[in-house]
Amino acid sequence: MVPTLFGMSLAIFLMVRLMPGDVIDVLTGGDVSITPAQREGIRRTLGLDKPLPVQYLQWVGGMAAGNPGLSLRSHEPVGAILARALPITVELVIIAVVFAVALGIPLGVISASRRESVGDYVARVGGLIGLSMPSFWLATLILLFTSIVFQWIPAVSFVPFLQDPLGNLSQVVIPGISVSVFVIAIVMRMTRATMLEVLSQDYVRTARAKGASRRSVTYHHALRNALIPVVTVVGFQVGTLMSGAAIVEVIFGLPGLGYTLIQAIFARDYPLVQTTTMLLATIFVILNLTVDLLYGVIDPRIRAR
Amino acid sequence: MKVADHQLTRRELLKRSGLLAGAGLVAPSALLEACGTTTTTSTTSTTPKRGGKVTWALEQDPTYLAPFGGIPTSNHWGNEFMYDSLLQWDKDLNVQNALAESYTTPDDRTYIFKLKQGIKFHNGKELTADDVKYSFDLMANPPLPGSTSYLGQFPAVASTDVVDKYTVKFTMKKPDASMIGFLAWGRYSGIAPVDMYKQLNPVTQGIGTGPMRLVEYVPNDHVTYTRFADFWGKPLPYFDDLVLKVLPDEQARVAALRSGAVDGATVSPDNARVLGKDKNLVVYKGLTAAFREIQFTVKAGEKKPWADRRVRQAISAAINRQDLIDKVYSGDGKYSGFIPPGYGKYPIAASDLVNKYFKFDLNKAKQLMSDAGFSSGFPLTMLSIAQPADMTQAAEVVKEHLQQIKIDVNIVPQMIGEFAKNNGNGSFDVDLTSRGMRGDPNGFVAEFVNNAKLWWPGYEMPPDIAALVAKGIATPQQDQRYPIYSQLQQTLMNELLEIPLVAVYKYQVVTSRLHNMYVAFTDFNTGLRQAWLG
Repeated sequence: MVPTLFGMSLAIFLMVRLMPGDVIDVLTGGDVSITPAQREGIRRTLGLDKPLPVQYLQWVGGMAAGNPGLSLRSHEPVGAILARALPITVELVIIAVVFAVALGIPLGVISASRRESVGDYVARVGGLIGLSMPSFWLATLILLFTSIVFQWIPAVSFVPFLQDPLGNLSQVVIPGISVSVFVIAIVMRMTRATMLEVLSQDYVRTARAKGASRRSVTYHHALRNALIPVVTVVGFQVGTLMSGAAIVEVIFGLPGLGYTLIQAIFARDYPLVQTTTMLLATIFVILNLTVDLLYGVIDPRIRAR
Repeated sequence: MKVADHQLTRRELLKRSGLLAGAGLVAPSALLEACGTTTTTSTTSTTPKRGGKVTWALEQDPTYLAPFGGIPTSNHWGNEFMYDSLLQWDKDLNVQNALAESYTTPDDRTYIFKLKQGIKFHNGKELTADDVKYSFDLMANPPLPGSTSYLGQFPAVASTDVVDKYTVKFTMKKPDASMIGFLAWGRYSGIAPVDMYKQLNPVTQGIGTGPMRLVEYVPNDHVTYTRFADFWGKPLPYFDDLVLKVLPDEQARVAALRSGAVDGATVSPDNARVLGKDKNLVVYKGLTAAFREIQFTVKAGEKKPWADRRVRQAISAAINRQDLIDKVYSGDGKYSGFIPPGYGKYPIAASDLVNKYFKFDLNKAKQLMSDAGFSSGFPLTMLSIAQPADMTQAAEVVKEHLQQIKIDVNIVPQMIGEFAKNNGNGSFDVDLTSRGMRGDPNGFVAEFVNNAKLWWPGYEMPPDIAALVAKGIATPQQDQRYPIYSQLQQTLMNELLEIPLVAVYKYQVVTSRLHNMYVAFTDFNTGLRQAWLG
């Protein structure tokens, strides 16, 4: 994991500096009256005049010490910005995953166990629509729909969960649904595909032959074995959602990680872009590790190996 | 019943879209040339009411609230209700006293300001000349997160001296008439109490004398203000609380307006038209200083076709500005000179721009191209700003126009950072760009002297341009400055190293319970200072 994180940090650091446009121009609003001396003065003040290896080591050292530096634009500690943004995105992702698991798995199971039925067709078509529908489009549509029909949208000023749980949930549930539709479709399709495969296995036939009920065969014998690829997909989607929810965050005015990252990219705010990206990448790596460990919990045979 | 200035009603919007054309259903509207702003009549309450909470959607995060050297425009959107300057503009850009009681100019290098007595900061401390000196010293050398790059706008103040508790004297390095506009603009000249930067974090906190006291700023989310009961400009403000909510997505702002989640927001012309059909919303529009223009570089030894003045004149004559306004701005726009319409008495009269300086005349354009030896045309690469999209759309229309004089335009849209870099170091042939607000008319024309070596090193600039720029800035009496800038603009419109195109409107949509608004020419939200909830 450490070599992976090191490689990622180096790649992120270099790629951020390959972004077109000079941070000084962004910071100065493209003011052409600025003299070269002033330009260099700003660069020096921000520490951007130092050689790249020095800048890299300072950033990595700062992250290791829990202080990845200051935002170039606002001069607020990057750590404080991320501490404010991370819980919002985590909450959004949790809601999306809860919806995806709560709806996607049952729909997939029903679809597989009633193959070629009307319910199966409906679920499959719904899955295709869910996959094809961009979350930002759906989010915009939901916003416009509720605003026109009900003269209501989620409150625009974000309230933390601990401060006002109901107020908070009323703000994040709709964005959560917007980003979950795609994941619901993926989970449903994956569950259906693996269930169909498992249901054709010999041990399932044996279970049926010994007189186990349909419900017992489906949920006790088949589903548990079908869940391994689903867990992999869900784990992967959680990582993707951490950054992929950005546009929905922007649409709903939720100042989460993705929103912060987009603003930072536009501002060429190197420390903030680097650290946010690094945080997202680290979360992704940890999630992959967690998924690997979960295999053993779901399937004891893997643990035994 | 009252008349609401700068207001575009639902009916007018319908009329504009042709639905009510000719039906005689719309009350006659007058054109107010003072600010280049359409004014229509509307029925709203004339008696201001106190109380209530206003939520306004911002397109961008303020980034920081620090008052000195803030480069992003959104910085001032975030702090304009907190800080005041010594002077202020009214909606027609007339200079009025703000924190100053009066000022005198005993000679052309000295300004003496008397402060109003008894003005309180939000922390209860009384405003004195020490605070003005403290603030001006920081304006001259803005600490982070401010930037020294704004200093091109800062007047030539040599020293700020406290004469007595309520009197402050500015000694200038040279005669500089931009001092008054700089103070009235207020963007960079807010007054903060002594040692404020030592007492708090100016990124997220602040103490001023403005109508609203800061409660909290959560970056990327919102700024919350509450009414400052000891505000010097009573009876303002009328509402109790103000929340500035950051909503970068325009459709989200539209939905928030429709649902009443916010009381006001800036939107695009298209959305303004749609929202104008909502009976609960009112659309206001007004010109801002951000006019669009074409800019050339003329470098030594390159011998590009546009180094010839006649080619630039041909390009200007071949551009049909009304067609540009119709196609890109849905008919809402005005011809602009080097000083944009709405900037007090400085702009060239609209009729002269339309019928004389920027008259569309294809035959004249072809003749000029022929005289310059380019009757068979030439290729040209034009940079444009990718966002806002109208800049590149305008470039496309210009391309279409220039094809008629056989100029083949290759448009290269760029993100603002890259565009600004190329513009800043002169790495372009031609670009289609936008200008912003300035505190003084000198700000619109000074680049023809200050940046001449950067953008036009291969061009022999007529000497009267530098002379007129110097004369304009050294003339403190406003009425004597008008003819200077008129003459200067006429000279520039002959040279056309930059070709002004059109000034565009800004649209603000508010809920019908918010009264007495107007769209400020400055691109800030001074209209909200005087608004009230009905």
